[in-house]
Amino acid sequence: MNAAMLYALTGAGLFALGLYALAVQAHLLRKIIAFNVMGSGAFLVLGALAHRAPDQVADPVPHAMVITGIVVAVSATAFALVLMLRVQSETGQPHLPEQPSD
Amino acid sequence: MGTLSPDSPWTIWVIFSPLAGAVFTFLWPRRARLAVPLVALGTVGSVACLVWQVAELGVQSHALGGWAAPLGINLYADGLSAMMLLTTALVGAAVTFYATEYFRRASETARYFWPLWLCLWTALNALFLSWDIFNLYVAFELLGLAAIALVALAGSADALTGAMRYLLVSLLGSLTYLLGVALFYSTYGTLDIGLLGDLTAPSAASWAATGLMVAGLLLKTALFPLHFWLPPAHAAAPTPVSAILSALVVKASFYLLLRLWLEVFPVTAAGLGHLLGLLGALAIVWGSLQALRQTRLKLLVAYSTVAQLGYLFLAFPLALSPVAATAWSASVFFILSHALAKAAMFLAAGNILRFAGHDRIAELGRAPYGVSLSWAAFGVAGISIIGLPPSVGFAAKWLQLEAALAGGQWWWTLPIVGGGLLATAYVFKIISCVFSQNGRTSGTNGISWRMEWTAFGLSLAALGIGFAAPQLLALLNSGTPLALHEVGSAP
Amino acid sequence: MDGAVNAAAWAFDALLVLTLLWLAWRVLMGPDLFKSIVFFIAFGLVMALAWVRLRAPDVALAEAAIGAGLTGALFLAALSRLAAGERIANAKRPVENSDTGKSTRPHRGVRMVFIAMSALFFGGLAAALLSLPAEAPGLTIQVAENLSTSGVSNPVTAVLLNFRGYDTLLEMGVLFLAVVAAWSLTPAPKEPVSPPGIVLASFVRVLSPMLLLAAGYLLWAGTHAPGGAFQAGSVLAAAAVLLLLSGKDMKANWPEWPLRVVLGLGLGVFIAIGLVMMLIGHRFLEYPLDYAGDLILLIEVAATLSIGVTLAALFLGGRPQRDERK
Repeated sequence: MNAAMLYALTGAGLFALGLYALAVQAHLLRKIIAFNVMGSGAFLVLGALAHRAPDQVADPVPHAMVITGIVVAVSATAFALVLMLRVQSETGQPHLPEQPSD
Repeated sequence: MGTLSPDSPWTIWVIFSPLAGAVFTFLWPRRARLAVPLVALGTVGSVACLVWQVAELGVQSHALGGWAAPLGINLYADGLSAMMLLTTALVGAAVTFYATEYFRRASETARYFWPLWLCLWTALNALFLSWDIFNLYVAFELLGLAAIALVALAGSADALTGAMRYLLVSLLGSLTYLLGVALFYSTYGTLDIGLLGDLTAPSAASWAATGLMVAGLLLKTALFPLHFWLPPAHAAAPTPVSAILSALVVKASFYLLLRLWLEVFPVTAAGLGHLLGLLGALAIVWGSLQALRQTRLKLLVAYSTVAQLGYLFLAFPLALSPVAATAWSASVFFILSHALAKAAMFLAAGNILRFAGHDRIAELGRAPYGVSLSWAAFGVAGISIIGLPPSVGFAAKWLQLEAALAGGQWWWTLPIVGGGLLATAYVFKIISCVFSQNGRTSGTNGISWRMEWTAFGLSLAALGIGFAAPQLLALLNSGTPLALHEVGSAP
Repeated sequence: MDGAVNAAAWAFDALLVLTLLWLAWRVLMGPDLFKSIVFFIAFGLVMALAWVRLRAPDVALAEAAIGAGLTGALFLAALSRLAAGERIANAKRPVENSDTGKSTRPHRGVRMVFIAMSALFFGGLAAALLSLPAEAPGLTIQVAENLSTSGVSNPVTAVLLNFRGYDTLLEMGVLFLAVVAAWSLTPAPKEPVSPPGIVLASFVRVLSPMLLLAAGYLLWAGTHAPGGAFQAGSVLAAAAVLLLLSGKDMKANWPEWPLRVVLGLGLGVFIAIGLVMMLIGHRFLEYPLDYAGDLILLIEVAATLSIGVTLAALFLGGRPQRDERK
């Protein structure tokens, strides 16, 4: 297993860890943090597999995709945080209320 | 008609008219009343030109930046894209017209409706034209963020929690989809749908990528049992937003699922198709039963959406037979009919809600004379939802029944027909309010004629476009999008 | 000798990977939310190291500035606003078990199910990843072939602003939308203004011009070395955030309309150039060979300004308060 595969597996691991935390944690800020970790994991998978390119230069297209992804992630995070604060000011709690099961 | 006409400028105008409008209405909110009709006209006009081009000249494309795939991003418009763009333009124009009246009393938050809605329209158009799987991810993020912000505009606790739940689901779906993109690119070295179609073969990585993308898109399309987020969000949103969400936004992820299924995913196993069909049938039954149980009008309509989305997925097992094209055409017709009818229903429900001050079905009672046209819109839209002739809903169901019987999978006729009966029940539940003796003569808010006629007009469209079914079928087949992509054949 | 270098590289990678995973665990499951956020910033910085190791310096810069720095700042601001909101909520009702981010775990059985599902997910993904070939060029060759006609010599910038410029345009749209959406939700929260300590005040006074210079450098260098509009824009945003944190009351001086113009500038310039190219007979965003470098620089300048102001506005978390007279 070379370095690229090691980092790719790490990315997968981060995604799985984030997924678990997303399911288990109830606090909205923790969920948003979990999404960021999952995103980092997905980007790491993409970038690590780009490292498989031979010679000195890694494949730049996945790098561009990751940069785009990082910017999209910060935009979504910023919006999610503002929404979370509104939810707290309306319901008094930074949790989603229990949904009546349908 | 399979000839590729490159570099159509209309593909660009379709995307950038609403986007330019969004930037403009953000910079000059006071001029919004003037700018919005122009932007809407420009967008609808561009869509009309593009649809005409696709119908007459075949597939349109545009190599952005002058770079062909795999290096650059392509836009691609065939019959399927044209149908989606057409649906979006019809509902979008109607909702824009409705919203100019709905937000007449410009409040602080109402000013933000226009940039958000126009960004959403941009995202939809960009999605239907994009031929690059990573570009589709960015378009989905644009779509999701705009939709969620629009839900939250309502400001109530229900709307905010509904929006938050929607956000969590949307982000999860997007990230799962992105992981699928990473796997596809790392295996085949390209992001172009056409090239991927030629290259994908069954392998561990492509199967994993397929699974991830399907899971992400199912979350976004709210297929049973992943539908839990949809009713609260769609019901609590402001009225025009509910219409946009149910009619258009949930269809976007279904469109992508369909597109990838036809073009990219490696030889798709029958098992997955049957599973999707089964979930679709369950959605029809469960959604309709839940709709019958609801006491609030908008929630009923939202659960109806959950049920109707189930019909779309029946195409997957039905297409595992020689009559595949019929089954897929049925789904596209369902998209069109449901978009028009559901938008009509939500706009009508919104009128009734504003008139009566509440939407508790039991008390909506007598003397709905102030909004009688909205009740009529409900009824006419219901015809399409139930699937009676001559509506497009009927055309769609007819195609599906034909596919089921011709393909030898007769058991799928049960949910199709059963769903129609259940839909009759909940539509009747709403209409019976008109004749009930409960409730007081309530309602002091005048509902403008524009709002009522938009709802009624959409319901009439759902009814009347059925007459154009043959022409629409011809449009849909431009570029043969519904034939399963054979490895090695040219796009 | 070669073997020793390989072994050292391997050891470094192994250490980095373990640190990442351990930090992620502390971030996600640690009981104290503030510590989690601080660990998250550390996680971002270690991630930037990983990017360097993966021959991705552009990504490393973006991750350090945006992923670790700005996102961390957003989280910390949100945490303090949550605490403020909770004080208000507690004042309105009798104090119950307050919940400042303590992780409340669901039932043990449910947790076991989720652990199993996550493990299964990881297993499937790992199997898929391991099945991939160890070497794959991807699109390196096509990018290298066309780099000379792209107008820049940094391949990542070429991909971002030329080959796949449309993606970047939509991404600018997402940034723009995030501000519009945040503004639609709420006016900017009023933070209690305490006079900054002398350390922060003098530190910021020295640092801000240096950050501006760094942003300009990153922008210029992006054409031929790691850097670019996003990295430069985020450094600009960092300078703005520092100024805000040091108590400079920028809100009173928010001239709203110019602010809106700058927010829309990056997207607007990008769209305008794309359409102009189409109107003069090329395809959308197809730069003429002689002007490619200049057009890219123009777009990047507008984008840097926009990105910096957008990220700072997102940090403020809401629309500017206006006079009622307006």
